Amino acid sequence: MILQVENLHVSYRKNFHSSEILNNISFELKKGEILALLGESGSGKSTLAKALTGLLPPSAHIGSGTLHIGSTLVKDLGSTSIQWDKIRGRMLSMIFQDAQQAFNPLLTMKENFKEILLYHGIASSAEVIPVSTRLLRMLNFQDVNSILHSYPFQLSGGMCQRICLALSLCLKPTVLIADEPTSALDTINQIEVLNLMKKMQKEFDLTVLLITHDIAVANAISDRVIVLNKGVIVEEGDTNTVLTNPKAPYTRKLLLSRSLIAKGSRDSEHLQSNVPILEIIQLEKTFSHKKRVLQEVNLTLHKQEIIGIIGQSGCGKSTLAKCITGLEAPSRGRILYRGTDISRLQGKEKREVCKHIQLVFQDARASLNPRRTALELVQEPLRYLKIGKKNEKKVIAEYYLNEVGLHTELHNRRPPQLSTGQCQRIAIARALVLKPEILICDEAVSALDMRVQSQILLLLQRLHKQFEFSILIISHDIRVVRSFCHKIAVMKDGSFCEIRNAGSLLDKTKQSYTQILLKSANEIEGNLTLLEEVEDDDYKYS
Amino acid sequence: MHNSKYPISLVCGILLLFWIAILIMGAPFLTPFDPLEQNSSLRLEKPSLTHPLGTDRYGRDVLSRTLHGGRTTLISSVLALSSTLFIGLIVGLVAGMYHRSIIDTILMRVIDVLLAFPFMVLAMVIATLFGTSFIHLLIAVVSVWWISFARLTRSVVLQAKNDTSIAAATVLGAKRYVIMFQELLPKAVGPVLVLATFELGSLILSISALSFLGLGSQPPTPEWGSMLADGRDHFFQAPHILLGPTLFIMLTVLAFNLIGEGLRDWFDPNEITKF
Repeated sequence: MILQVENLHVSYRKNFHSSEILNNISFELKKGEILALLGESGSGKSTLAKALTGLLPPSAHIGSGTLHIGSTLVKDLGSTSIQWDKIRGRMLSMIFQDAQQAFNPLLTMKENFKEILLYHGIASSAEVIPVSTRLLRMLNFQDVNSILHSYPFQLSGGMCQRICLALSLCLKPTVLIADEPTSALDTINQIEVLNLMKKMQKEFDLTVLLITHDIAVANAISDRVIVLNKGVIVEEGDTNTVLTNPKAPYTRKLLLSRSLIAKGSRDSEHLQSNVPILEIIQLEKTFSHKKRVLQEVNLTLHKQEIIGIIGQSGCGKSTLAKCITGLEAPSRGRILYRGTDISRLQGKEKREVCKHIQLVFQDARASLNPRRTALELVQEPLRYLKIGKKNEKKVIAEYYLNEVGLHTELHNRRPPQLSTGQCQRIAIARALVLKPEILICDEAVSALDMRVQSQILLLLQRLHKQFEFSILIISHDIRVVRSFCHKIAVMKDGSFCEIRNAGSLLDKTKQSYTQILLKSANEIEGNLTLLEEVEDDDYKYS
Repeated sequence: MHNSKYPISLVCGILLLFWIAILIMGAPFLTPFDPLEQNSSLRLEKPSLTHPLGTDRYGRDVLSRTLHGGRTTLISSVLALSSTLFIGLIVGLVAGMYHRSIIDTILMRVIDVLLAFPFMVLAMVIATLFGTSFIHLLIAVVSVWWISFARLTRSVVLQAKNDTSIAAATVLGAKRYVIMFQELLPKAVGPVLVLATFELGSLILSISALSFLGLGSQPPTPEWGSMLADGRDHFFQAPHILLGPTLFIMLTVLAFNLIGEGLRDWFDPNEITKF
């Protein structure tokens, strides 16, 4: 037994109220094992990681809990006299979701290595370069020299996460805690990080506590899995057993939402209309003094059509969405809405186009003004464009809020009092209030848990049928997009390398890049089976 | 108390300011002595029952002078602060909104010039050019004081402009001025109010320094700042004559600090659930 946690209780105090986040958590980790801690956001999984590393904020209170790591025993995790500097780094190492933020942006990778190696007395300053080079080579990094001389922001998120792994490895920690290490990455980077983790585990006999909300990630690399719901362990066992034959109803629900996304709806494949509603012709966008972000982008969106745009992060997907909605002016090319060019409109005409083309953002919470209630938020566009009288506005807003499945008692709440999924529902309602013909979803479900993701996708699908608008879904995750779209457009380095019907993309693609995307998605999915029955109350409102 | 609709500090600050205002407005009825009446036989008296805070070097009652003097100080500082806040917020918003345009450049260069120009010299120039009066005192203070608010507002706006919520408002068809006043202004108010509460103390002192230079209220009119300046000369003989104005400046600044903190909490959306 290399790590043992017993009786961990953590609660948060806020305004004289105390809410229990973790309730009697006990688990063990064997040497060389990868244990996945599976749960939705708010289940307390990050709090657990922070409690084990002494990183909890002052508002948190550890009721009780013992930590046994290697030969060290911490009797009371809540005590203030724990010498964390002896435990952190050498015994417990941690990597975070956003690796780019975890690095000091003022230091090159070489200096980052140097800091760690010198602080823990592993190497002298002369040995820093040889030691780190050897380590990176061992972990299959190409072009080690240029990596060591770059700053964090010059490297991609996936690369940073892999270097984080390497850095934590040079301390030879007893246990590595990985908190959502792949959630912010696209599928290609995701699989690279996961493979590296597996390799490290094999070669260095590393023990990993992997925290994730993604069942596929847990399935891909973990040996054992613990399912956490509202601070309580609901199921524990062998990964294969738990994920193919779940016992707890909560685990079943989690697995079900995945199946719903993967299956999507079959009837979306028949599209009758061939009236083009949005035509993008030879679009090009260059940011000043930088390289081209978009070049020769051509796309036609028909009435009621759903097109999924996929590609790695940084390929220009979001810039395209911004150009269409007028947040960025394209450098060259045309964007035709019903035959008229909308790419260079100003003032009143530009605001007129807003009625027809709407955008839903990735970070729903950030896109909503936190000072307003749900009802006020949905009335915003009506107010901006002076549509309807005061009473009418309220009635319209209530109608759309009900349509997106936000209960009446939540209408007067503000975004800080609502969950991320509920915020995304408000954002969708707000976009639909103007009765747009085109809805652009820019990574609208990427930041959500699998379960909420499936609910939002089903909601979009229902609304699409009801209000008959066209949708552009932008995503880095081919798994999300493939079952919901009529067509899929694959973007690489600022232009589309393939646009195909969703059904035929999977079998017929000859593009090597699409194949890589598909392969990495399939590799993550692995041998996970899909659940059949739908028995979940939570989907009533989607 | 924590269930009340408003932040505690806001309620306390307003109550405190209310009592200070009552004392100051009611000065003619509350104090038995004329603040200007000199009595050479009672110079630098120690506190007693008739003179609770003692007398100053001309034998005037310090308590009466403090309460009467508050009127000038409070009115001028509150007027000066609110006009600087107003100008600073507007200029900062416009400069931030039209970042890198000619408007922004002009406004920022004006601020640079004002920053480089000594405040006291400017005040004296205004005094010599236009004569001494309460209005000119305000003009002198306001014309210099708004720059820090404008700079802060501008930096907040520059940061907030890239927020998703601003992009969302644009996509939803909001006009420029709607974005400025409904989306960006509330974000700037919080930090600006914090700065304002810090600045109030030094504002009170600057106003009195200007009075000392002959701009604004003239002796023998009582005023907290000039009372402090007078008392400084007799600090070792009669420290008690500093007590009145010091205490009131302290309490006023405290009241404004509490109000500032309360307002900041009130404007902070993440704290909304608290009240």
